[in-house]
Amino acid sequence: MDIYLPIAGMSINFYLIIGIGALVGFLSGMFGVGGGFLLTPLMMMIGIPPAVAAASDSNQIVAAASSGAFAHWKLGNVDFKLGLVILFGGIVGGTIGVQLVKVLRAMGNFEFVMKVVYVLMLGLVGGAMFIESLNTIRRSKAQPSAPPAAPAEPKLGRAFGKLPLKMHFTRSGLHTSAIFPFSIGATVGIMAALLGVGGGFIMVPAMIYIIGMPTIVAIGTDLFQIVLTSANVTLQQAMVNKTVDILLAVILLLGSTIGAQFGATIGKKLKGEQIRILLAIIVLAMTVKLFIDLVVMPENLVSLAPAKGGGH
Amino acid sequence: MRRLILNLMAVIIVLITGVSAWAVTPEASQKVLTAATKNRVDIGLFYKGDRINFFGVNPVPGSDLIIRLTAAKDEELKLSVKGRVGPFWMTVKQYAVTGLPFMYKIHASRPITDIIKAETAQELELGFPALKKKMQMHLIRGEEAPEDAELVFNGFLKIKKEANLYNIEEGPERLEVTEGKLFSHYFRFPPAATEGKYLIESFSFTNGELVGYGKDEIIISKVGLEAWLTNAAQNYPVAYGIGAVLFAIGAGLLVGMIFRKGGHH
Repeated sequence: MDIYLPIAGMSINFYLIIGIGALVGFLSGMFGVGGGFLLTPLMMMIGIPPAVAAASDSNQIVAAASSGAFAHWKLGNVDFKLGLVILFGGIVGGTIGVQLVKVLRAMGNFEFVMKVVYVLMLGLVGGAMFIESLNTIRRSKAQPSAPPAAPAEPKLGRAFGKLPLKMHFTRSGLHTSAIFPFSIGATVGIMAALLGVGGGFIMVPAMIYIIGMPTIVAIGTDLFQIVLTSANVTLQQAMVNKTVDILLAVILLLGSTIGAQFGATIGKKLKGEQIRILLAIIVLAMTVKLFIDLVVMPENLVSLAPAKGGGH
Repeated sequence: MRRLILNLMAVIIVLITGVSAWAVTPEASQKVLTAATKNRVDIGLFYKGDRINFFGVNPVPGSDLIIRLTAAKDEELKLSVKGRVGPFWMTVKQYAVTGLPFMYKIHASRPITDIIKAETAQELELGFPALKKKMQMHLIRGEEAPEDAELVFNGFLKIKKEANLYNIEEGPERLEVTEGKLFSHYFRFPPAATEGKYLIESFSFTNGELVGYGKDEIIISKVGLEAWLTNAAQNYPVAYGIGAVLFAIGAGLLVGMIFRKGGHH
């Protein structure tokens, strides 16, 4: 069954989109990650225009993260004060990111920059995850009864704490500078616009290991900022680039929701390091594919650029 | 039997549609009577392109036919040209291109070069060489090179052919002519064919001279949800954006309630 995507301006197999949503949802449920960083490149691979893929993915992320954010809010796991500082950064970053998308599209290099950033980001995350998981597996084989290593003391957090604009964040039990949370929010905002990702894979480790937040509060606050940062990016993409395909976002949400339920069940049966090494292999495979796209001569050296910022 | 059915359909449709389908250019002395199975294509939720059959009567039996499908308006394009920068392939120059139609398909009873001279083809814009000469391009960014016109046109042609928006079929396979007079063929409108007016022009030639001409119009438009969403996204982007966000939050909360676990994000 084919379905016509009005903003992407193309007809595509409905089950293919549901399948991609379900696959990413399955991986999300299994690995406990957002999946935006997998979804956008996969949509590009099936022919969805990159700008539409990123913008519609942001819209899908609003839906996918909202119920989790609501649940964490009810449990008191959201540090609203810190979340608002990050959100402020996210809105500034998202606004810059959307304008960047507009300029890059006009220059005809949006897809190129997007792929370069993806290769760097996925290569770094996938590589680090792969090495860390491999070391954990090796250690557990050498010392099966060894206790898990204690989390490192956030030395960077102490350094950032010396910066000006200090604030007290009661829920996280922190007294630190607002500059770092704002900066990380701005970085994630730019990436949300450019890549269509939620940014949880950067935000959560930064909150835990650099700012020094308790893990559960970091996750709850991250979901809170993801909903609002992605909402800002969706709104601005709709206004500036007109690339949000709501129909595509709904189908992806449907697929990812179903996939996530199965993924979570399977994920419970696997060990942490096994899950991480599997995810690392998937991420690295996508990195290689995107890198090849950048260095191999394209079949057609000519491509259509958007004339006046339209969706297609 | 198939020919008989085609002949009957051609006669019936021409009689039904009558004079409304007739048109003529100043150069042509006679009219090519044509009719289409439909003149309107709706892009709905499950649209995956459409096929329209055309029937016609050639005014000069035995003459050659060239039938051209074009979008009524030419496109204003911006084309990016990739080049090697270090190890990477990225856009290094851009051209603004005018004079090329959004869609261009031709069915001819035999090779165009056998039917008409290059000058006539150029005058009537029949065939890819004629289009290439009509194309105008000016550099927006980067450095111009002598081979760019060839590169840009061939690259553009490849994009359009892959989207099934440009195509030339020369021979009796797609343009069936019966007893030199009645003809039938079909054009496939791919999903990439956007909203707008499309013209199907039938040219009849004898010894390279235009002796007949006919024209049909096809309108493609979005309907229902597709039209509503496109209109909202293009003309009311703020409302569309807010709506997309609110809808996503509502859908997310609903899904969370159904699965009782919250989101997976």
